Amino acid sequence: MAEEIYQLSATEISSRLAAGKLTSRAVVEALISRYHQLNKKIGAFTSLDEKDVLAQADASDARRKAGKVLSPLDGIPVAIKENIAVKGQPLTCSSKMLANLISPYDAHVVEALKSAGAIIYGRLNMDEFAMGSSTENSAIQKTFNPWDLTRIPGGSSGGSAASLASGLVPLALGSDTGGSIRQPASHCGIVGMKPTYGLVSRFGLVAFASSLDQIGPMARTVADCELLLNVLASPDARDMTCFDSTQRNQLPVASEKSLRIGVPKGVLGKGVGAEVAAATQAAIDFYKSKGATIIEVDLPSSDLAVPTYYVVATAEASSNLARYDGVRYGHRSANAKTPIEMMTNSRSEGFGPEVKRRILLGTFVLSAGYADAYYVRALRARSKIRAEHLAALEKVDMILSPTVPTPAFKVGEKVSDPLQLYLEDIFTIPANLAGLPALSVPCGKSGHLPVGFHLVGAPLSESKLFAAAQLFESAHSFANQQPTL
Amino acid sequence: MAKGLDIDHLAKLARLNLTADEKVLYSNQLTQVLTYFETLAKADLPANSDVALVVTEKALRSDEPGVSLGSDAVTKIAPASYDGQISVPRVVDDES
Repeated sequence: MAEEIYQLSATEISSRLAAGKLTSRAVVEALISRYHQLNKKIGAFTSLDEKDVLAQADASDARRKAGKVLSPLDGIPVAIKENIAVKGQPLTCSSKMLANLISPYDAHVVEALKSAGAIIYGRLNMDEFAMGSSTENSAIQKTFNPWDLTRIPGGSSGGSAASLASGLVPLALGSDTGGSIRQPASHCGIVGMKPTYGLVSRFGLVAFASSLDQIGPMARTVADCELLLNVLASPDARDMTCFDSTQRNQLPVASEKSLRIGVPKGVLGKGVGAEVAAATQAAIDFYKSKGATIIEVDLPSSDLAVPTYYVVATAEASSNLARYDGVRYGHRSANAKTPIEMMTNSRSEGFGPEVKRRILLGTFVLSAGYADAYYVRALRARSKIRAEHLAALEKVDMILSPTVPTPAFKVGEKVSDPLQLYLEDIFTIPANLAGLPALSVPCGKSGHLPVGFHLVGAPLSESKLFAAAQLFESAHSFANQQPTL
Repeated sequence: MAKGLDIDHLAKLARLNLTADEKVLYSNQLTQVLTYFETLAKADLPANSDVALVVTEKALRSDEPGVSLGSDAVTKIAPASYDGQISVPRVVDDES
Protein backbone atom coordinates (compact mmCIF):
# COMPACT_ATOMS: atom_id res chain seq x y z
CA MET A 1 0.00 0.00 0.00
CA ALA A 2 1.32 3.43 -0.92
CA GLU A 3 2.28 5.59 1.98
CA GLU A 4 -0.08 8.43 2.85
CA ILE A 5 1.41 11.93 2.88
CA TYR A 6 0.98 12.21 6.65
CA GLN A 7 3.20 9.14 7.08
CA LEU A 8 6.15 10.61 5.20
CA SER A 9 9.26 11.83 6.96
CA ALA A 10 10.41 15.40 6.31
CA THR A 11 13.45 14.05 4.44
CA GLU A 12 11.16 12.03 2.14
CA ILE A 13 8.82 15.00 1.58
CA SER A 14 11.87 17.14 0.77
CA SER A 15 13.14 14.71 -1.86
CA ARG A 16 9.67 14.30 -3.43
CA LEU A 17 9.27 18.08 -3.58
CA ALA A 18 12.70 18.34 -5.22
CA ALA A 19 11.81 15.62 -7.73
CA GLY A 20 8.54 17.36 -8.61
CA LYS A 21 6.49 14.38 -7.38
CA LEU A 22 4.73 16.40 -4.71
CA THR A 23 3.78 20.02 -4.06
CA SER A 24 3.88 21.83 -0.75
CA ARG A 25 0.17 22.61 -1.22
CA ALA A 26 -0.61 18.89 -1.48
CA VAL A 27 1.34 18.24 1.72
CA VAL A 28 -0.42 21.02 3.60
CA GLU A 29 -3.88 20.03 2.31
CA ALA A 30 -3.29 16.43 3.42
CA LEU A 31 -2.16 17.59 6.87
CA ILE A 32 -5.13 19.96 7.25
CA SER A 33 -7.45 17.09 6.45
CA ARG A 34 -5.63 14.93 9.05
CA TYR A 35 -5.95 17.81 11.54
CA HIS A 36 -9.74 17.90 11.07
CA GLN A 37 -9.89 14.16 11.48
CA LEU A 38 -7.74 13.85 14.61
CA ASN A 39 -6.88 17.01 16.47
CA LYS A 40 -10.01 17.03 18.67
CA LYS A 41 -9.16 13.50 19.75
CA ILE A 42 -5.44 14.15 20.41
CA GLY A 43 -5.52 17.80 21.47
CA ALA A 44 -2.02 18.47 20.11
CA PHE A 45 -2.67 21.75 18.31
CA THR A 46 -4.13 24.77 20.05
CA SER A 47 -4.59 26.67 16.78
CA LEU A 48 -4.00 26.35 13.05
CA ASP A 49 -4.50 29.22 10.60
CA GLU A 50 -5.44 27.21 7.50
CA LYS A 51 -5.56 30.18 5.14
CA ASP A 52 -2.10 31.29 6.25
CA VAL A 53 -0.44 27.87 5.93
CA LEU A 54 -1.94 27.33 2.46
CA ALA A 55 -0.63 30.75 1.40
CA GLN A 56 2.84 29.81 2.71
CA ALA A 57 2.64 26.52 0.76
CA ASP A 58 1.68 28.32 -2.45
CA ALA A 59 4.55 30.76 -1.99
CA SER A 60 6.96 27.83 -1.57
CA ASP A 61 5.62 26.09 -4.67
CA ALA A 62 6.03 29.34 -6.62
CA ARG A 63 9.66 29.64 -5.43
CA ARG A 64 10.32 26.09 -6.52
CA LYS A 65 8.80 26.72 -9.94
CA ALA A 66 11.04 29.79 -10.31
CA GLY A 67 14.13 27.77 -9.31
CA LYS A 68 14.57 29.76 -6.10
CA VAL A 69 14.33 27.03 -3.46
CA LEU A 70 15.70 28.34 -0.16
CA SER A 71 16.75 25.11 1.59
CA PRO A 72 15.87 21.40 1.96
CA LEU A 73 13.14 22.54 4.40
CA ASP A 74 11.46 24.79 1.82
CA GLY A 75 7.75 23.93 1.72
CA ILE A 76 7.85 21.59 4.73
CA PRO A 77 5.53 22.30 7.67
CA VAL A 78 7.09 22.83 11.11
CA ALA A 79 4.70 23.20 14.06
CA ILE A 80 5.66 25.52 16.91
CA LYS A 81 5.22 25.12 20.67
CA GLU A 82 3.00 27.79 22.29
CA ASN A 83 5.95 29.44 24.10
CA ILE A 84 7.93 30.38 20.97
CA ALA A 85 7.07 33.74 19.38
CA VAL A 86 5.62 33.88 15.86
CA LYS A 87 4.71 37.39 14.73
CA GLY A 88 0.95 37.89 14.49
CA GLN A 89 0.13 34.57 16.18
CA PRO A 90 -0.98 33.68 19.74
CA LEU A 91 1.80 33.28 22.31
CA THR A 92 -0.26 31.92 25.18
CA CYS A 93 2.24 29.55 26.82
CA SER A 94 -1.00 27.60 27.43
CA SER A 95 -1.75 30.02 30.27
CA LYS A 96 -4.78 32.16 31.08
CA MET A 97 -2.21 34.84 31.88
CA LEU A 98 -1.35 35.25 28.17
CA ALA A 99 -4.69 34.09 26.70
CA ASN A 100 -5.06 37.17 24.50
CA LEU A 101 -1.42 37.85 23.66
CA ILE A 102 -0.55 38.10 19.98
CA SER A 103 3.21 38.14 19.48
CA PRO A 104 4.53 41.36 17.93
CA TYR A 105 7.75 39.67 16.75
CA ASP A 106 9.36 36.42 15.61
CA ALA A 107 11.70 34.29 17.70
CA HIS A 108 15.19 33.83 16.22
CA VAL A 109 14.37 30.21 15.37
CA VAL A 110 11.18 31.28 13.59
CA GLU A 111 13.13 33.83 11.55
CA ALA A 112 15.58 31.04 10.68
CA LEU A 113 12.76 28.69 9.62
CA LYS A 114 11.15 31.41 7.52
CA SER A 115 14.51 32.15 5.83
CA ALA A 116 14.77 28.44 5.05
CA GLY A 117 11.31 28.52 3.44
CA ALA A 118 9.71 26.22 6.04
CA ILE A 119 5.98 26.57 6.63
CA ILE A 120 5.24 27.88 10.11
CA TYR A 121 2.44 25.45 10.80
CA GLY A 122 0.15 25.91 13.81
CA ARG A 123 0.68 26.16 17.54
CA LEU A 124 1.19 23.24 19.91
CA ASN A 125 -0.20 22.66 23.39
CA MET A 126 2.13 22.50 26.40
CA ASP A 127 2.17 22.58 30.17
CA GLU A 128 1.53 26.14 31.32
CA PHE A 129 4.78 28.12 30.99
CA ALA A 130 6.52 24.77 30.25
CA MET A 131 6.09 23.66 33.87
CA GLY A 132 5.14 20.01 33.92
CA SER A 133 5.79 16.56 32.52
CA SER A 134 2.32 15.58 31.29
CA THR A 135 0.75 18.57 29.47
CA GLU A 136 -2.05 18.31 32.04
CA ASN A 137 -1.12 21.78 33.30
CA SER A 138 -2.30 23.50 30.11
CA ALA A 139 -5.05 26.04 30.72
CA ILE A 140 -6.26 25.58 27.13
CA GLN A 141 -6.89 21.85 26.68
CA LYS A 142 -5.65 18.38 27.48
CA THR A 143 -3.37 16.48 25.09
CA PHE A 144 -3.51 12.70 24.90
CA ASN A 145 -0.89 10.13 23.98
CA PRO A 146 -1.61 8.90 20.43
CA TRP A 147 -0.51 5.38 21.42
CA ASP A 148 -3.12 5.24 24.19
CA LEU A 149 -5.65 8.04 24.54
CA THR A 150 -6.13 7.37 28.26
CA ARG A 151 -2.50 8.31 28.89
CA ILE A 152 -0.44 11.49 29.00
CA PRO A 153 1.87 12.37 26.07
CA GLY A 154 4.57 13.64 28.44
CA GLY A 155 5.49 17.28 28.77
CA SER A 156 5.96 20.03 28.70
CA SER A 157 6.27 19.73 24.89
CA GLY A 158 3.40 17.21 24.87
CA GLY A 159 1.60 18.86 21.95
CA SER A 160 4.79 18.69 19.87
CA ALA A 161 5.38 14.98 20.55
CA ALA A 162 1.70 14.01 20.11
CA SER A 163 1.40 15.96 16.82
CA LEU A 164 4.36 14.03 15.39
CA ALA A 165 3.25 10.61 16.63
CA SER A 166 -0.24 11.09 15.18
CA GLY A 167 1.02 12.22 11.77
CA LEU A 168 -0.36 15.74 12.12
CA VAL A 169 2.97 17.30 11.09
CA PRO A 170 6.44 15.98 10.11
CA LEU A 171 8.54 18.39 12.22
CA ALA A 172 7.99 20.35 15.44
CA LEU A 173 9.80 22.67 17.81
CA GLY A 174 9.85 22.06 21.52
CA SER A 175 11.66 23.62 24.45
CA ASP A 176 13.52 21.74 27.15
CA THR A 177 14.35 23.01 30.64
CA GLY A 178 14.62 19.67 32.47
CA GLY A 179 13.51 17.11 29.87
CA SER A 180 10.52 18.79 28.21
CA ILE A 181 11.57 17.67 24.71
CA ARG A 182 13.07 14.27 25.50
CA GLN A 183 10.53 12.92 28.01
CA PRO A 184 7.49 13.44 25.67
CA ALA A 185 9.61 12.17 22.76
CA SER A 186 10.18 8.94 24.70
CA HIS A 187 6.50 8.62 25.68
CA CYS A 188 5.28 9.21 22.10
CA GLY A 189 7.90 7.12 20.25
CA ILE A 190 9.61 9.96 18.41
CA VAL A 191 13.09 11.57 18.33
CA GLY A 192 13.80 14.72 20.32
CA MET A 193 16.99 16.63 21.02
CA LYS A 194 17.98 19.22 23.59
CA PRO A 195 21.01 20.94 22.07
CA THR A 196 24.09 22.15 23.94
CA TYR A 197 23.20 25.22 26.00
CA GLY A 198 24.04 28.18 23.76
CA LEU A 199 23.76 26.39 20.40
CA VAL A 200 20.24 27.67 19.64
CA SER A 201 19.20 31.24 20.42
CA ARG A 202 16.55 31.68 23.11
CA PHE A 203 15.44 35.03 21.65
CA GLY A 204 11.65 34.78 21.42
CA LEU A 205 11.36 31.79 23.76
CA VAL A 206 9.25 32.81 26.75
CA ALA A 207 11.61 32.45 29.71
CA PHE A 208 11.05 29.78 32.38
CA ALA A 209 14.54 29.11 33.80
CA SER A 210 16.99 30.98 31.61
CA SER A 211 20.17 29.09 32.52
CA LEU A 212 18.51 25.78 31.61
CA ASP A 213 16.06 26.57 28.75
CA GLN A 214 16.89 25.47 25.19
CA ILE A 215 14.73 25.24 22.06
CA GLY A 216 15.20 21.98 20.19
CA PRO A 217 14.03 19.87 17.25
CA MET A 218 11.51 17.01 17.40
CA ALA A 219 10.77 14.59 14.55
CA ARG A 220 9.87 10.98 13.70
CA THR A 221 13.35 10.09 12.41
CA VAL A 222 16.91 10.89 13.46
CA ALA A 223 17.72 12.39 10.04
CA ASP A 224 14.71 14.73 10.25
CA CYS A 225 15.69 15.83 13.74
CA GLU A 226 19.21 16.69 12.53
CA LEU A 227 17.87 18.45 9.43
CA LEU A 228 15.75 20.70 11.64
CA LEU A 229 18.53 21.38 14.16
CA ASN A 230 20.84 22.52 11.36
CA VAL A 231 18.36 25.30 10.54
CA LEU A 232 17.78 26.33 14.17
CA ALA A 233 21.44 26.55 15.21
CA SER A 234 22.97 29.87 14.24
CA PRO A 235 24.57 32.81 16.08
CA ASP A 236 22.28 35.53 17.45
CA ALA A 237 23.53 38.67 19.19
CA ARG A 238 20.12 39.10 20.88
CA ASP A 239 20.81 36.14 23.17
CA MET A 240 24.03 36.82 25.07
CA THR A 241 24.41 33.13 25.93
CA CYS A 242 24.21 32.05 22.26
CA PHE A 243 27.55 30.87 20.82
CA ASP A 244 29.10 33.11 18.19
CA SER A 245 30.63 31.77 14.95
CA THR A 246 34.08 31.28 16.48
CA GLN A 247 32.75 29.24 19.39
CA ARG A 248 30.68 27.11 16.99
CA ASN A 249 33.80 26.15 15.07
CA GLN A 250 35.39 24.59 18.14
CA LEU A 251 33.57 21.34 17.49
CA PRO A 252 34.91 18.15 19.04
CA VAL A 253 37.25 16.38 16.67
CA ALA A 254 35.87 13.10 15.36
CA SER A 255 37.54 10.21 17.11
CA GLU A 256 39.41 7.58 15.11
CA LYS A 257 38.63 5.07 17.81
CA SER A 258 35.46 3.00 17.88
CA LEU A 259 32.44 4.36 19.68
CA ARG A 260 32.82 4.41 23.46
CA ILE A 261 29.53 4.41 25.35
CA GLY A 262 29.29 5.07 29.05
CA VAL A 263 26.56 3.47 31.12
CA PRO A 264 26.12 4.96 34.62
CA LYS A 265 26.55 2.49 37.45
CA GLY A 266 23.19 1.04 38.55
CA VAL A 267 21.20 3.04 35.99
CA LEU A 268 18.82 0.19 35.19
CA GLY A 269 18.15 -0.55 38.84
CA LYS A 270 15.79 0.99 41.35
CA GLY A 271 12.70 2.73 39.98
CA VAL A 272 13.19 1.69 36.34
CA GLY A 273 10.36 -0.40 34.86
CA ALA A 274 11.35 -3.95 33.81
CA GLU A 275 10.45 -3.45 30.14
CA VAL A 276 12.16 -0.04 30.03
CA ALA A 277 15.30 -1.64 31.51
CA ALA A 278 15.10 -4.49 28.97
CA ALA A 279 14.70 -2.12 25.99
CA THR A 280 17.62 -0.01 27.21
CA GLN A 281 19.78 -3.09 27.79
CA ALA A 282 18.94 -4.24 24.25
CA ALA A 283 20.18 -0.87 22.92
CA ILE A 284 23.42 -1.28 24.92
CA ASP A 285 23.83 -4.83 23.55
CA PHE A 286 23.21 -3.56 20.03
CA TYR A 287 26.02 -1.02 20.27
CA LYS A 288 28.30 -3.69 21.72
CA SER A 289 27.50 -5.95 18.77
CA LYS A 290 28.50 -3.09 16.45
CA GLY A 291 31.95 -2.88 18.02
CA ALA A 292 31.31 -0.13 20.56
CA THR A 293 33.16 -0.29 23.84
CA ILE A 294 30.74 -0.19 26.78
CA ILE A 295 32.26 1.40 29.86
CA GLU A 296 30.63 1.74 33.27
CA VAL A 297 30.83 5.37 34.39
CA ASP A 298 30.51 6.75 37.88
CA LEU A 299 28.29 9.80 38.39
CA PRO A 300 28.14 9.86 42.20
CA SER A 301 26.13 13.10 42.40
CA SER A 302 23.22 11.81 40.28
CA ASP A 303 21.05 11.67 43.39
CA LEU A 304 21.44 15.43 43.74
CA ALA A 305 20.21 16.23 40.24
CA VAL A 306 16.46 16.42 40.90
CA PRO A 307 16.64 18.57 44.06
CA THR A 308 19.33 20.77 42.47
CA TYR A 309 17.20 21.24 39.38
CA TYR A 310 14.02 22.10 41.28
CA VAL A 311 15.85 24.69 43.38
CA VAL A 312 17.59 26.35 40.41
CA ALA A 313 14.63 26.13 38.02
CA THR A 314 12.02 27.41 40.47
CA ALA A 315 14.32 30.19 41.69
CA GLU A 316 14.81 31.39 38.12
CA ALA A 317 11.11 30.92 37.36
CA SER A 318 10.02 33.00 40.35
CA SER A 319 12.26 35.78 39.07
CA ASN A 320 11.35 35.43 35.37
CA LEU A 321 7.62 35.27 36.06
CA ALA A 322 7.72 38.42 38.17
CA ARG A 323 7.26 40.24 34.85
CA TYR A 324 3.62 39.14 34.73
CA ASP A 325 2.28 42.01 36.78
CA GLY A 326 -0.70 43.04 34.67
CA VAL A 327 1.05 46.20 33.48
CA ARG A 328 2.55 45.75 30.00
CA TYR A 329 0.97 42.60 28.61
CA GLY A 330 -1.05 39.60 29.70
CA HIS A 331 -4.02 39.42 32.01
CA ARG A 332 -4.97 42.44 34.12
CA SER A 333 -7.50 41.92 36.88
CA ALA A 334 -10.71 43.93 36.57
CA ASN A 335 -10.92 44.02 40.38
CA ALA A 336 -8.03 46.23 41.38
CA LYS A 337 -7.92 49.77 42.68
CA THR A 338 -4.23 50.05 43.53
CA PRO A 339 -1.08 48.96 41.67
CA ILE A 340 -0.34 46.27 44.30
CA GLU A 341 -3.87 44.90 43.99
CA MET A 342 -3.52 44.95 40.22
CA MET A 343 -0.32 42.87 40.38
CA THR A 344 -1.50 40.44 43.04
CA ASN A 345 -5.00 39.92 41.63
CA SER A 346 -3.78 39.63 38.03
CA ARG A 347 -1.20 36.98 38.97
CA SER A 348 -3.63 35.08 41.18
CA GLU A 349 -6.28 35.00 38.44
CA GLY A 350 -3.86 34.35 35.56
CA PHE A 351 -1.55 31.60 36.83
CA GLY A 352 -2.58 27.95 37.27
CA PRO A 353 -1.78 25.72 40.28
CA GLU A 354 1.60 24.30 39.14
CA VAL A 355 2.92 27.72 38.17
CA LYS A 356 1.86 29.13 41.55
CA ARG A 357 3.47 26.16 43.31
CA ARG A 358 6.78 26.72 41.52
CA ILE A 359 6.73 30.46 42.06
CA LEU A 360 6.18 29.90 45.80
CA LEU A 361 8.96 27.29 45.95
CA GLY A 362 11.34 29.54 44.00
CA THR A 363 10.47 32.50 46.20
CA PHE A 364 11.21 30.40 49.29
CA VAL A 365 14.61 29.11 48.12
CA LEU A 366 15.68 32.67 47.28
CA SER A 367 14.26 34.33 50.39
CA ALA A 368 16.39 35.94 53.08
CA GLY A 369 17.69 33.34 55.51
CA TYR A 370 17.15 30.40 53.13
CA ALA A 371 19.03 31.35 49.96
CA ASP A 372 22.36 30.06 51.32
CA ALA A 373 20.86 26.75 52.43
CA TYR A 374 19.01 26.10 49.19
CA TYR A 375 19.91 28.26 46.18
CA VAL A 376 23.63 28.70 46.83
CA ARG A 377 24.06 25.02 47.71
CA ALA A 378 22.15 24.05 44.57
CA LEU A 379 24.55 26.12 42.45
CA ARG A 380 27.47 24.34 44.07
CA ALA A 381 25.83 20.96 43.44
CA ARG A 382 25.26 22.01 39.84
CA SER A 383 28.99 22.67 39.42
CA LYS A 384 29.76 19.24 40.84
CA ILE A 385 27.25 17.50 38.54
CA ARG A 386 28.71 19.23 35.51
CA ALA A 387 32.29 18.41 36.53
CA GLU A 388 31.39 14.73 36.99
CA HIS A 389 29.71 14.59 33.58
CA LEU A 390 32.61 16.29 31.82
CA ALA A 391 35.07 13.94 33.52
CA ALA A 392 33.03 10.92 32.40
CA LEU A 393 32.80 12.32 28.87
CA GLU A 394 36.60 12.46 28.73
CA LYS A 395 36.57 8.68 28.84
CA VAL A 396 33.51 7.99 26.67
CA ASP A 397 31.85 9.61 23.65
CA MET A 398 28.39 9.58 25.18
CA ILE A 399 26.42 8.39 28.18
CA LEU A 400 23.46 6.05 27.63
CA SER A 401 20.47 5.57 29.95
CA PRO A 402 16.69 5.23 29.68
CA THR A 403 15.03 8.59 28.88
CA VAL A 404 12.25 8.08 31.45
CA PRO A 405 12.12 5.36 34.16
CA THR A 406 8.60 4.17 33.27
CA PRO A 407 6.27 4.51 30.25
CA ALA A 408 3.48 7.10 29.92
CA PHE A 409 1.11 7.07 32.89
CA LYS A 410 -2.68 7.52 32.96
CA VAL A 411 -4.16 10.99 32.68
CA GLY A 412 -4.79 12.26 36.22
CA GLU A 413 -2.61 9.64 37.89
CA LYS A 414 0.02 11.99 39.31
CA VAL A 415 -1.87 15.31 39.39
CA SER A 416 -2.00 15.51 43.19
CA ASP A 417 1.58 14.35 43.79
CA PRO A 418 4.03 16.92 42.39
CA LEU A 419 7.11 15.14 43.77
CA GLN A 420 6.29 11.91 41.91
CA LEU A 421 5.87 13.93 38.74
CA TYR A 422 9.22 15.68 39.29
CA LEU A 423 10.92 12.26 39.39
CA GLU A 424 9.87 11.63 35.74
CA ASP A 425 12.84 13.82 34.81
CA ILE A 426 15.52 12.00 36.79
CA PHE A 427 17.53 10.94 33.69
CA THR A 428 16.99 14.08 31.60
CA ILE A 429 17.72 16.81 34.18
CA PRO A 430 21.54 16.40 34.43
CA ALA A 431 22.03 17.42 30.76
CA ASN A 432 20.26 20.73 31.45
CA LEU A 433 22.19 21.36 34.66
CA ALA A 434 25.47 20.64 32.85
CA GLY A 435 24.52 22.42 29.60
CA LEU A 436 25.14 19.26 27.53
CA PRO A 437 23.43 18.03 24.34
CA ALA A 438 21.07 15.09 24.78
CA LEU A 439 18.83 13.03 22.57
CA SER A 440 15.95 10.59 23.08
CA VAL A 441 15.64 7.80 20.51
CA PRO A 442 12.78 5.25 20.31
CA CYS A 443 14.06 1.77 21.23
CA GLY A 444 11.10 -0.45 21.98
CA LYS A 445 7.81 -0.83 23.77
CA SER A 446 6.60 -1.45 27.27
CA GLY A 447 3.37 -3.24 26.47
CA HIS A 448 1.84 -1.05 23.77
CA LEU A 449 3.64 2.10 24.93
CA PRO A 450 6.82 3.50 23.34
CA VAL A 451 10.10 3.64 25.23
CA GLY A 452 13.17 5.68 24.35
CA PHE A 453 16.81 5.61 25.31
CA HIS A 454 18.82 8.70 26.11
CA LEU A 455 22.26 9.79 24.90
CA VAL A 456 24.20 12.65 26.50
CA GLY A 457 27.38 14.00 24.90
CA ALA A 458 30.13 16.54 25.47
CA PRO A 459 29.40 20.19 24.58
CA LEU A 460 28.70 20.63 20.85
CA SER A 461 28.86 16.92 20.11
CA GLU A 462 25.37 16.88 18.52
CA SER A 463 26.58 15.30 15.28
CA LYS A 464 28.18 12.41 17.21
CA LEU A 465 24.91 11.79 19.04
CA PHE A 466 22.94 11.86 15.79
CA ALA A 467 25.40 9.44 14.15
CA ALA A 468 25.10 6.97 17.03
CA ALA A 469 21.30 7.31 17.01
CA GLN A 470 21.23 6.78 13.25
CA LEU A 471 23.25 3.59 13.61
CA PHE A 472 20.61 2.25 16.00
CA GLU A 473 17.62 3.51 14.03
CA SER A 474 18.84 1.99 10.74
CA ALA A 475 19.02 -1.47 12.30
CA HIS A 476 15.56 -1.32 13.94
CA SER A 477 11.96 -0.63 12.99
CA PHE A 478 11.16 2.31 15.27
CA ALA A 479 11.84 5.08 12.74
CA ASN A 480 8.83 7.08 11.61
CA GLN A 481 6.49 4.90 13.70
CA GLN A 482 2.86 5.95 14.10
CA PRO A 483 0.02 4.18 15.91
CA THR A 484 -3.19 3.31 14.06
CA LEU A 485 -5.70 6.03 14.86
CA MET B 1 5.95 21.82 57.95
CA ALA B 2 9.47 22.56 56.68
CA LYS B 3 11.42 24.80 59.02
CA GLY B 4 10.78 28.44 58.21
CA LEU B 5 8.02 27.91 55.68
CA ASP B 6 5.54 30.74 56.30
CA ILE B 7 2.99 30.46 53.52
CA ASP B 8 1.43 33.88 54.16
CA HIS B 9 4.81 35.60 53.97
CA LEU B 10 5.74 33.68 50.81
CA ALA B 11 2.45 34.51 49.12
CA LYS B 12 3.04 38.18 49.89
CA LEU B 13 6.58 38.08 48.48
CA ALA B 14 5.34 36.26 45.37
CA ARG B 15 2.38 38.65 44.96
CA LEU B 16 -0.19 35.87 45.03
CA ASN B 17 -3.55 35.71 46.85
CA LEU B 18 -4.13 32.24 48.22
CA THR B 19 -7.41 30.84 49.51
CA ALA B 20 -7.46 29.01 52.85
CA ASP B 21 -7.57 25.69 50.99
CA GLU B 22 -4.66 26.67 48.75
CA LYS B 23 -2.59 27.66 51.79
CA VAL B 24 -3.03 24.20 53.30
CA LEU B 25 -2.41 22.44 49.98
CA TYR B 26 0.73 24.39 49.06
CA SER B 27 2.15 24.25 52.61
CA ASN B 28 1.85 20.46 52.58
CA GLN B 29 3.22 20.03 49.08
CA LEU B 30 6.12 22.45 49.56
CA THR B 31 6.99 20.75 52.85
CA GLN B 32 7.11 17.40 51.06
CA VAL B 33 9.33 18.81 48.30
CA LEU B 34 11.63 20.65 50.72
CA THR B 35 12.04 17.48 52.77
CA TYR B 36 13.17 15.75 49.60
CA PHE B 37 15.65 18.61 49.04
CA GLU B 38 17.40 17.73 52.32
CA THR B 39 19.82 15.51 50.37
CA LEU B 40 21.32 18.80 49.21
CA ALA B 41 21.92 19.96 52.79
CA LYS B 42 23.78 16.74 53.60
CA ALA B 43 25.83 16.53 50.40
CA ASP B 44 29.57 17.09 50.24
CA LEU B 45 29.82 20.01 47.82
CA PRO B 46 32.61 22.16 46.38
CA ALA B 47 33.22 25.44 48.20
CA ASN B 48 32.33 27.50 45.16
CA SER B 49 29.98 27.25 42.24
CA ASP B 50 31.23 27.77 38.74
CA VAL B 51 28.06 28.01 36.74
CA ALA B 52 29.79 30.30 34.26
CA LEU B 53 31.14 27.06 32.81
CA VAL B 54 27.61 26.22 31.75
CA VAL B 55 26.35 29.64 30.80
CA THR B 56 28.85 31.18 28.42
CA GLU B 57 28.09 34.88 28.36
CA LYS B 58 29.73 36.99 25.73
CA ALA B 59 31.09 40.50 26.25
CA LEU B 60 28.51 43.21 26.69
CA ARG B 61 27.48 45.12 23.61
CA SER B 62 28.14 48.83 23.25
CA ASP B 63 25.56 51.06 24.89
CA GLU B 64 23.81 52.27 21.77
CA PRO B 65 20.09 52.38 21.02
CA GLY B 66 18.94 49.47 18.89
CA VAL B 67 15.78 48.66 17.00
CA SER B 68 12.73 48.39 19.27
CA LEU B 69 9.10 47.43 18.77
CA GLY B 70 7.78 51.00 18.83
CA SER B 71 4.91 52.33 20.93
CA ASP B 72 2.12 51.19 18.59
CA ALA B 73 3.10 47.53 18.83
CA VAL B 74 3.72 47.81 22.56
CA THR B 75 0.44 49.53 23.47
CA LYS B 76 -1.46 47.12 21.22
CA ILE B 77 -0.58 44.22 23.52
CA ALA B 78 -0.92 46.20 26.77
CA PRO B 79 -4.05 45.56 28.89
CA ALA B 80 -4.86 49.30 28.84
CA SER B 81 -3.33 52.30 27.13
CA TYR B 82 -4.03 55.95 26.59
CA ASP B 83 -2.51 58.28 24.03
CA GLY B 84 0.36 55.97 23.08
CA GLN B 85 1.21 55.12 26.70
CA ILE B 86 0.38 52.20 28.97
CA SER B 87 -2.13 53.17 31.65
CA VAL B 88 -2.21 51.73 35.19
CA PRO B 89 -4.21 52.41 38.38
CA ARG B 90 -3.29 55.63 40.17
CA VAL B 91 0.10 55.27 41.86
CA VAL B 92 0.27 58.59 43.77
CA ASP B 93 -2.43 59.71 46.20
CA ASP B 94 -4.08 63.13 45.80
CA GLU B 95 -3.73 63.88 49.50
CA SER B 96 0.01 63.40 49.93
